[in-house]
Amino acid sequence: MSTWLETRRKAAAESSEALGVPSLSDEHWRFTSLRGIDFDRYAVSAEATAGDMAGAILGEGDHAGRLVMRDGGVVAEELLADVAAQGVVFGSLARLADEHAALIEPILGTIVGYDERFAAENGALWTDGLLLHVPAGVKVQLPFHTAYEIATAESAQQWRVIVSLGEGAEATLVEEHLPGQPGYANGVAELVLAETAHLTYVVVQDRNDASLHFAAHRAEIAKDATLEWSACSIGSKTGKTRMETRLTGEGSTGRLSAVYVVDGKRHLDLDTTQEHDAPNAVSDLAFKGVLLDSARSVWRGVIRVAEGAHGTDAYQENRNLMLSPTARADSIPGLEIDTNDVRCTHGATAGPVDPMLKFYLMSRGIPQAEAERMIVEGFLEEALERIPDLRIREALTTAVMRRVPV
Amino acid sequence: MPDLVIRNLHANIADSDTEILKGIDLELSKGEIHAIMGPNGSGKSTLSHVLMGHPGYEVTEGEIIFEGENLLDMAADERSRAGLFLSFQYPFAVPGVTVANFIRMAVNAHRKGGPDGADDPIRIPEFRKQLQDAMEMLEIDKSMSSRSLNDGFSGGEKKRFEILQMAMLKPKLAILDETDSGLDIDALRIVSGGINALMGPDMGTLIITHYQRILDYVEPDRIHVLVDGRIVRSGGPELAKELETTGYAELAKETVS
Ligand SMILES: Nc1ncnc2c1ncn2[C@@H]1O[C@H](COP(=O)(O)OP(=O)(O)O)[C@@H](O)[C@H]1O
Ligand SMILES: [Mg+2]
Repeated sequence: MSTWLETRRKAAAESSEALGVPSLSDEHWRFTSLRGIDFDRYAVSAEATAGDMAGAILGEGDHAGRLVMRDGGVVAEELLADVAAQGVVFGSLARLADEHAALIEPILGTIVGYDERFAAENGALWTDGLLLHVPAGVKVQLPFHTAYEIATAESAQQWRVIVSLGEGAEATLVEEHLPGQPGYANGVAELVLAETAHLTYVVVQDRNDASLHFAAHRAEIAKDATLEWSACSIGSKTGKTRMETRLTGEGSTGRLSAVYVVDGKRHLDLDTTQEHDAPNAVSDLAFKGVLLDSARSVWRGVIRVAEGAHGTDAYQENRNLMLSPTARADSIPGLEIDTNDVRCTHGATAGPVDPMLKFYLMSRGIPQAEAERMIVEGFLEEALERIPDLRIREALTTAVMRRVPV
Repeated sequence: MPDLVIRNLHANIADSDTEILKGIDLELSKGEIHAIMGPNGSGKSTLSHVLMGHPGYEVTEGEIIFEGENLLDMAADERSRAGLFLSFQYPFAVPGVTVANFIRMAVNAHRKGGPDGADDPIRIPEFRKQLQDAMEMLEIDKSMSSRSLNDGFSGGEKKRFEILQMAMLKPKLAILDETDSGLDIDALRIVSGGINALMGPDMGTLIITHYQRILDYVEPDRIHVLVDGRIVRSGGPELAKELETTGYAELAKETVS
């Protein structure tokens, strides 16, 4: 293995060690307790375990490339020949690390640093994952479909994703975290969009209901580039997912929508940033959640506008539909603004299904249970309809609604 | 026996002692159009909601019989499937549910009405055709069917979509709560035309309004005046004209004294 990689792993390991497991007194962990979790219990899988994408939400169908990581390694990867012929790199990060060191070195560990425990731990321990590079000017119409799964119960999967889009490049990446076996998943995704690039990024977190899921996804978006990011979180027991966008170029756009359904005693923690470092950029975040039983969700989102980022247009909202009186949703929006001439707005709500709206539907002959379902689906649809690809959107709607009891 | 019989109907706001309807009697048969007129706050919308089974009100006395069945034993969806329809004064937005999907769900819920509750969904082409015809009748642009129902619609648009739903569900008893409000004169003509086209021997209509304007387009057989939760007077169509000159206040006084 290359020495630069060794050096980074070592730095990450030291940082991880020094940071230690966060406690409730850490500002970002105020609502998510890790007490009683014995992380050492989960041995990191280094080996891959044979298998396929059987648990994926997005079925067979046309794709530009497919990749499956099970436990420690990628077990299947394919890339359409005509896509490869255009210079697209897509495949196992471990396999491609040496060959494409020039692509990886400027990104790995620099987009997502080692200043947070789980990201640092992953920096030290990641075993495999994805490298996707779309060269300047290449537009790939079909989606890349990737899946990550823990196949060996009670083990840890350390996954890593690197995506780089050249100037004017276009791509759609679907990243599914499959139910598989219970265990501990920790990963980092680093995405870099060059000028006028366009990435549609769909992340489905459907990990086992008994799994721990930690992830830090972060994107840097250059001038006039656009990131359309849709997240769907319906799995895992607890953990934290960071979704961060940094708008580094003037006129860039970052749209981030998420739907989540949390039931039982599960706990979902989403931490987002919209960092405006350049003028006239647009960011728009819409998170919609449905909470059942004694489930709990936490969303903490900050809009950060740097000095000189005039003409910023930033929006964030978190709406929660509470289907149980014992469920709880916390929304913590935040604004840190260091410049004038900006438009930043936010909103957060949590409430039950509006009984008047339910009455309206029932007055049309629709039975109560069906009316409630329609209201829930309609509520989530408002976020899901931002996914441009109809096939993906319908697959996600079905998967999400499966989590909502009739 | 008339198809709809309301007898001594008293209703409170749920979980409170505030009585809004204070003993209403009314009879209506299919093929008839009745109008209920009354000032703001007299209880007109409450009556329409109570007829439809709104959970926010509690019937404390009296009964509502429709085609021999006690409506008070039925939830709103059952009343709808029994043939009632309410055009809301303030229709709700249904975010994320398109007009076409919403109406199709409602139509299918009605078709499922058999005793075994078997599914008998309408075929999509047939549904599309019916919806398109009804939209044409109400001069609604085709593209509107893929928008979320009432979401961001103007007041007048919402009223048109209420009548569109009525056209698709073909009720036996239509309750139209201030369907004329928010409509400009052209829209009023179109919507009234729609109501008249749907009206027939198999449908009764209860038009609720505080203006007599819509009654120039949809002619009632009888008019009832509702003041402070009571019907203070009933009469023929000429009552609307009388009201216009005397006003509700005079009329209420007259009746009480
Ligand atoms: N849910 C409610 N909560 C409080 N007051 C209500 C409620 N519903 C009706 N009312 C009161 O009852 C009276 C009648 O209301 P409504 O039926 O809407 O009158 P109308 O439709 O004739 O204008 C009004 O004074 C109104 O404020
Ligand atoms: Mg009213």
